[in-house]
Amino acid sequence: MRNWNIPAVAFALVFALAPAVVAQSPQATADNSNSPPIPRLADGHPNLQGLWHNEVGAAALRQAGLGDIHSPGVPLPLPYLPVLDKIREYRLEHDPYHDPEAHCHVPGVPRIIEQPSSIMPFRIIQDEKYVTILFEYVHDLRIIPQDASPHPKNYWAWDGDSRGRWEGDTFVVDVANFNGRSWLDMDANFVDENEHVVERYTLVDPNTIAYSATIEDPTVFTRPWTMHLTLKKNVSKDRIVYYDCHEGERDVDHYTRSEGNAASKHE
Amino acid sequence: MSISIAIPRAAGQNAAKSYSPPRLSDGTPDFRGIWQARTTAYVNVEGHSAQNGIGKAESIIVDPPDGKIPYLPDALKQRGDNYKNREAADPASNCFQAGVPRAVYLPTPFQIFQSPGNLAIVYTDNHAYRIVDPSTIPHDDGIDFFMGDSRGHWEGDTLVVDVTDLGDQTWLDETGNFHSDQLHVIERYTLLGPDTMQYEARLEDPKTFSKPWTIRFLLYRDKEPGARITEDECLEGADGRWHHLSPSDPRAVLHHDYEAELAAAAKNLAGQGKP
Repeated sequence: MRNWNIPAVAFALVFALAPAVVAQSPQATADNSNSPPIPRLADGHPNLQGLWHNEVGAAALRQAGLGDIHSPGVPLPLPYLPVLDKIREYRLEHDPYHDPEAHCHVPGVPRIIEQPSSIMPFRIIQDEKYVTILFEYVHDLRIIPQDASPHPKNYWAWDGDSRGRWEGDTFVVDVANFNGRSWLDMDANFVDENEHVVERYTLVDPNTIAYSATIEDPTVFTRPWTMHLTLKKNVSKDRIVYYDCHEGERDVDHYTRSEGNAASKHE
Repeated sequence: MSISIAIPRAAGQNAAKSYSPPRLSDGTPDFRGIWQARTTAYVNVEGHSAQNGIGKAESIIVDPPDGKIPYLPDALKQRGDNYKNREAADPASNCFQAGVPRAVYLPTPFQIFQSPGNLAIVYTDNHAYRIVDPSTIPHDDGIDFFMGDSRGHWEGDTLVVDVTDLGDQTWLDETGNFHSDQLHVIERYTLLGPDTMQYEARLEDPKTFSKPWTIRFLLYRDKEPGARITEDECLEGADGRWHHLSPSDPRAVLHHDYEAELAAAAKNLAGQGKP
């Protein structure tokens, strides 16, 4: 114990645990008299509207690199099933263009919240039926009904299908129906079509959302794992600057057959 | 409703404007919902004969009265070239976002989201969206976007959207009707009833057209229970062209055999003389 850097450990623990505590007791947080009251819509739910970004911090970006998952609490390396960890290593070393983002595809969940939004913001528009998230990054978007309606059948998408509900003041989003092609980061961490994500958005003060995403994928990971992020209202920029990625791209040679290239050179 | 400003309606609009739409808490008309055009103007805004499963269509151009785009002579020639090369030259074949107004009459639905102070239009096609910020915020200068830069204000119960910063990388239809980066579009959205909306757009582009011209058609609400906008993502295929493939069943294309993938990887590396 005496060899531990106590402040660092304590800091890490607080950083890792605080959002989880927040997520579990949103009412207590909202009632915390030390924080300014959170804005609410006419229906009483917290008002999540505004322009937001993932506040990962420049130091963390430098340390982890732009492409890595840099979220407190994420167990790295991720708990892959046997063999799949080797697949990840191989792709990372020898097949980086397997990354769908290299082909300008929408990133999937939670990558769209975690990665590009540290440098490109997203805007939330909310009414009593939907929370709609419009991302600057590759004009990705998520339309999230608040009625906890069931996921559709026979539907598969890069961003899956999102269904939301309110648990107290926390907006909980269940995401399934993924197409199985997404990577989680540029480090070749990946999921397949059995990915299932539960996101929690808790407005802890007018300018801060405590975000968590629990990822389970029984055919990729040995157990579910959770990332925690702090999303900050963007005060330096007032709106989205539309960003398109793929104009003129001709990257077909980089595609493997699994990405839809029947004549892949990777076979 | 205090913020609605009554302005005499412009000439040329039809008379069925007595409908009083439902309103948001701030008094603005409620345009929320999923909408879609039934016109097949996406083939040719000037109208087209019956073809390949699509019925004949009249021009959606209401001004000039002949229903033809008032091209400048060089632009008319360019339109002809576009038509000849349309399959490869149409920007949509690169999965570029459709632009304005083409996105509005595509054969796929779009959804309007609204809350006091916020309005966004989300299109199925290529997951394009437009945020219609209030016209009190000036347009961005010196930058072009596929879907332009939209600013809205209310004239009575009509939503008027001023669209600039449109580039020259979008067309108006599959026939090769086109515009330059000087295109300026003024759109007017008016609810005619609970499930019907009139769309009108005036296009001016002094580099391409001899005078401004106007299109008008109806949009219809999708009342199917559980209707929603589905993801539309393009994927570049083996032929080097982009195809609308999402949503697609992963079981049809993904065949996870990680042991085999590793074995193939090892063989591949061995062939390259790597460990």
